[in-house]
Amino acid sequence: MSARSLSRGQRIAIGFVAPVILIALWQWRAGSGNAVIGMAPPSALFNALGEVLRNGTLLADASATLTRTFVGFFIGASLGTAIGIATALFPLLNRIIGPALHALRQVPMIGWLPLIALWFGSGEGAERIVVCVAAFFPAMLNSHAGAAGVERRFLDVGRVYGLDRLQRLRFIQLPAALPLVMTGLTQSLAFAWIGTIGGEILMGANAGLGVTMQQAQMQQRLDIVLVAVATTAALGFGINLILQHLRRTLLRWQPVLP
Amino acid sequence: MTTAILRGAGGELGRSVAAALTSAAPLLILLALWQVASMSHIFPPQIMMPPADVLHTLFKMAQSGELERHVSDSLFRLTIGFVIGAAAGLLFGAAISLSRLAEAALSPLFMTLWQVPVIAVVPLLVMYLGIGESFKIATVAIAAFFPVAIATFDGIRGVPKAWFDVGRVYRLRLADTIGLILIPATVPAVVTGLRIGLTRAWVVLVATELLAADSGIGQMMEMGRQLFQIDVVLAGVIVSGVIGFLIDRGARAIESRATRWRTA
Repeated sequence: MSARSLSRGQRIAIGFVAPVILIALWQWRAGSGNAVIGMAPPSALFNALGEVLRNGTLLADASATLTRTFVGFFIGASLGTAIGIATALFPLLNRIIGPALHALRQVPMIGWLPLIALWFGSGEGAERIVVCVAAFFPAMLNSHAGAAGVERRFLDVGRVYGLDRLQRLRFIQLPAALPLVMTGLTQSLAFAWIGTIGGEILMGANAGLGVTMQQAQMQQRLDIVLVAVATTAALGFGINLILQHLRRTLLRWQPVLP
Repeated sequence: MTTAILRGAGGELGRSVAAALTSAAPLLILLALWQVASMSHIFPPQIMMPPADVLHTLFKMAQSGELERHVSDSLFRLTIGFVIGAAAGLLFGAAISLSRLAEAALSPLFMTLWQVPVIAVVPLLVMYLGIGESFKIATVAIAAFFPVAIATFDGIRGVPKAWFDVGRVYRLRLADTIGLILIPATVPAVVTGLRIGLTRAWVVLVATELLAADSGIGQMMEMGRQLFQIDVVLAGVIVSGVIGFLIDRGARAIESRATRWRTA
């Protein structure tokens, strides 16, 4: 009963209890000489953060990772959206490439890594391709569903107005597909982000948050790993916020979803 | 009469066979093109291997029991990790949805940790657990935990209050309220969460096996890459795709059975 009548301030205060206990426990255990935890008490994280901020690696890593994500997302998602819409508009094209694409889709995105590494080496190019592949499929699936699922009555109105093929595309099919296209883009950016980090951890080329994580793990620098993980989480959270905002702005005309 | 029915059935069968053929034809043409392209030696065999050779490798690995070992090791890790992660997710989701105090105390921490991509935790887990079995199982469990916990939370919170009111009118005991209202009402959401958790767990497992393992589908591909055996890599791609497909289809079938009462 009492829990129901918690004020906002109390709720926020209670939310801090668990993290504080965790951190206190961690600091205390670090002092007691546990091999792994001992390497990085919470207080050491600030030193590590200061270290990577001063020598510029954090900034370089974050910008390398973000560039990879956005370049891969841009190529993969625009190809995916274009192919998704094209296969929805031309059934013949869908018959020809649809089954092959759906067969390829079943492979887990990281599963492509060894093959891509074999074909393109494990450099920057291969990493971008992994991100493209990761971003491609969600964009394709959703934009296909969006363009194929346009309501019959909208198309009927178009026919009454005597729209030609191009006008129908411009005024009916594309706007109607937009909500799902946006869903696809949101998903594919999330996939691109995970694909980038995964590719960096597994291939470890040049700079990047995943590369730093992997290298720090090998040098047993727990503090650096944790700083990189926290940065990854924060950037992912930021990307998510931007996307939600973008979605709301672009889909203003849409009635609020249930 | 009977002949008419038979003919009708035959026609239907013929039509579905024809439909299957037309949808398979482009795929077969693609495979044929691949076969021709790789046999014409435009590309070195380390880069491009004819599909027939890949199938041959797949058969050989299946016969020698090597494939079976990799697949069963991967599926074993997936099962153990998923069961642990899903059970923890169910308990956690139920706890924070049933108790407002637990929600206030734990959900901020949970939401913060949820922002971390599972794959980014991999280097961390390697440091704590080494590169043995426990590390892979822990990764799979974490991948399954979050979707299941979120779905359980949403499912329990989404039960209309009116249903509990009806239960109160009937003077149901607590056990009956849980068994007759709460569980049936939350099953669809939870099953969806379990499906998402399982498919994610599979993807993450392949990734961890690529990174560090002595067996498993991911390790098979990684070894193939290091030894420039593209047939082994491609066989791994095919097997991991087929397993992912079967997991997804199986889970969807269970999901549609579990949510049947909704449409009925």
